[in-house]
Amino acid sequence: MHQPTLIENIVVTLRVVRGKRSGVATTNRVDGDGLAELAERATSAAESAPPDESFPGLAPAAEPTRVEGYDEDTAGLGPDEQARRAAAAIDAAGDMPVYGFFTSAASELAIASSTGLNAEQRMTDATALVVAAAEGCSGYAERTAWRVADIDPAAVAREATEKAARTTDAGELEPGVYRAVLEPYAFADLLDYFSHDSLGALGLLEKRSYFSGRLGEQIVDDKITITDDPLDPHGLPKSFDFEGTPKQRVILVEHGVARGVVWDRTTAAQASNGATTTGHAGPVESRDWGPLPYSLSIATGEAESVEELAELVGDGIYITRLHYLGVVDPREGVVTGMTRDGTFRIRGGKIAEPLVNLRFTVAVPDLLREVYSLTKKAALVNSQNFYGDRYPYGVLAPAIAAARFTITGVGSKPGI
Amino acid sequence: MRDLCAAAVDAATSAGAEYADARVVLKRNQLVATKNGRVDRMMDAESEGIGVRVLVNGAWGFAGDRRLTAEGAREAAVRACTFARAAAGKHSRALTTIEPQSGRHQSPVERDPFAVSLADKVDLCLRADEALAGTDVIVRQAMVRAQREHKLLLSSEGTEVEQVLTECGAGIDCAAARNGMFQMRSYPSAHIGSSCQAGWEYVDELRLVDEAPRVAEQAAALLRADPCPDGITTVVLDGDQVALQVHESVGHPTELDRVYGTEASYAGTSFLKPGDLGSLRYGSELMNITADPTTPGGLGSFAFDDEGVPAEPTPVVEAGKLTGFLTSRETAARMGAGTGGSMRADGWNRMPLVRMTNLHIEPGQGTLDDLLTDVDNGIYMETNRSWSIDDKRLNFQFGTQIAWEIKDGKLGRMLRDATYTGITPEFWGSLDAVAGREAWRLYGLTNCGKGQPGQSAHVSHGAAPARFRNVQVGVKP
Repeated sequence: MHQPTLIENIVVTLRVVRGKRSGVATTNRVDGDGLAELAERATSAAESAPPDESFPGLAPAAEPTRVEGYDEDTAGLGPDEQARRAAAAIDAAGDMPVYGFFTSAASELAIASSTGLNAEQRMTDATALVVAAAEGCSGYAERTAWRVADIDPAAVAREATEKAARTTDAGELEPGVYRAVLEPYAFADLLDYFSHDSLGALGLLEKRSYFSGRLGEQIVDDKITITDDPLDPHGLPKSFDFEGTPKQRVILVEHGVARGVVWDRTTAAQASNGATTTGHAGPVESRDWGPLPYSLSIATGEAESVEELAELVGDGIYITRLHYLGVVDPREGVVTGMTRDGTFRIRGGKIAEPLVNLRFTVAVPDLLREVYSLTKKAALVNSQNFYGDRYPYGVLAPAIAAARFTITGVGSKPGI
Repeated sequence: MRDLCAAAVDAATSAGAEYADARVVLKRNQLVATKNGRVDRMMDAESEGIGVRVLVNGAWGFAGDRRLTAEGAREAAVRACTFARAAAGKHSRALTTIEPQSGRHQSPVERDPFAVSLADKVDLCLRADEALAGTDVIVRQAMVRAQREHKLLLSSEGTEVEQVLTECGAGIDCAAARNGMFQMRSYPSAHIGSSCQAGWEYVDELRLVDEAPRVAEQAAALLRADPCPDGITTVVLDGDQVALQVHESVGHPTELDRVYGTEASYAGTSFLKPGDLGSLRYGSELMNITADPTTPGGLGSFAFDDEGVPAEPTPVVEAGKLTGFLTSRETAARMGAGTGGSMRADGWNRMPLVRMTNLHIEPGQGTLDDLLTDVDNGIYMETNRSWSIDDKRLNFQFGTQIAWEIKDGKLGRMLRDATYTGITPEFWGSLDAVAGREAWRLYGLTNCGKGQPGQSAHVSHGAAPARFRNVQVGVKP
């Protein structure tokens, strides 16, 4: 094991407002001196800023939405219990080398303001992630939940190991447009990248969102409904945002029609079109993106399994996981990346021989324009990589079968 | 700081650690950013704490504590030992032997960036922001940043080193939109500008206000430019894009911890094997890459890494052949070559990992115009826009903000949406020119991600424009 890391921290972010001026400072020194200096620095920042006529002021007092998302057992996991879970995954993999992690945490977000806000939420999260890989083969699996009891690391390892065993002797594939089945891991990752430019209000205001000029239009298949649902206990529930506004469920795409994006107070004020915050202000380090959907949820379909999706595809490719995505063209929702840890050919409606890692370049709306079906069951896919301070979030996604997935290059064989 | 580190190391060895090191880190960051004539970000952040790393029965443990008290230091040490025992695993870790180090290092600063008032920083951003105004420009952004990291490392082997590293940076971006098309231009680099280990003099030298009109004009002109045609052709990259190419396709694959698989489940592994050292053909004879933590101004410059190994340059690729890896004491011991020297941690609450320091492509000869002169038909690409590379760092696709056609040795029409793709050794094998020392400069990135939990590293690359033959531009279907 490596990177066995125990972190305990408290971070205080203070915003000082002087009329239409405001400044922010942050510290983890929470004694009297540290907080006094924090106030001095935030005040200095506020006094150095020119007035901002679009500054909406601090959020008014509001009753935070009651949500689930905290579990005492998860919060109380110590090093021995964490290591035991990691060991269970390693043991379940048998002779197959496995790489990955088990992590769990308790986080608490509290907000108070001179406008009377006073809210706090305790959250827990846990993830077991396994890449099973040897020379020429690899497989992947992951489980995320706010209750550790919902995660079976051994089952995660078995899923990854079983997948890896099927990827030996991977063959190449001619670039082109293929029908495809994407497991929830791949679908969630793609949608998460698409969301940063297209599903938040800042992208809409700055015209880099695919939704710019398309709100109200049928943009994708009517089987596609996407919401941001912070209140859903199947996800990682959130009570209020980083401005203190209670979280709302927001419909982003309804039966294929672009319905809206998520907002915070700042973007709503800038829009000057009657928009109001939906409670989606993010943590300080993500503020460059504006409000983001931290609880994406894609409506499930009718398929019982990924095998049934493969039957619908008939001839195409099967994708487990994506790697290192990059946005090529935000306005058209074009994303590139590689497939990884379980790519297969689909022939005659069956998941067939393994393929090498493939480069894809896909316009996400184009992928979703013709959808054969989605699975009845969705999986919660972790979306944070634990940079900075912990703020657990993920995407609830089913597997999907779609008509157009564009392969633009061929990479190396799976495995180490 | 020293007493706290000593208390932590003593507590760790008393608790059974055969090796322990403790780092106290005080970090301060300041960011001012404007957008469309208003202050968008005004941020002053500080973080402090102690991180204790231990080896117990050959297993690592790490714990951090934000309290800079003897009690906090000792408790972190005991927790690290507890975690090491719990996470013992099947492998025993060994470290290369180094002489205990001592010293103090402070990066040179002419004008302390924290002594420049916030009001002056806001004023500079607003002036640059205003200078970006132009036809079809819908988003104007300017930002300046500063960071100071003060850290002391003390180990059970007797190493005691203290360092104060100051950096600052700046950048401008603008977006233009028209008829459903969206284009961006940035200066001096995309993705949070460019930074340097230096004082405010670095920001002054960037001349953001003077550069802004050109940046805005190009963003607007891109809306009317032709799309970059697909095909196999000669590509000339500007220094900014060469820097990112070095970062992604040489820097990460030569990190020896990736080679050994410890990044396998996140950023990936490497196409390189330990046995490739000294024999693998990475690129053409013109390819020379050096890892150099002693480079003045580099974001990866230091006197000692976060294991206390003294900084020294390491040739990574010489005349196209792989001659070095980026190593830690552990990975160097495992391979039986090198002494480490590339271990860096993102603050007090993360373990050090093998990271790039400053990774340079050594300059060749001539100017950008000289590189263009020998091209009958090709594409010149400038400033990164998108990047993606596979888990072994072989198959990559990069896009740039702007490009120009090259015809008969001269730049022709402007092109938009340019991308190129390739396989790492083939691509570097097609390198047939690197511009000379006068075109070579440092590009400082502050967003290099790695590790679980994630760590963000600040890295510099010295690079100059370079020419590559027979490159796939655009996508195949």
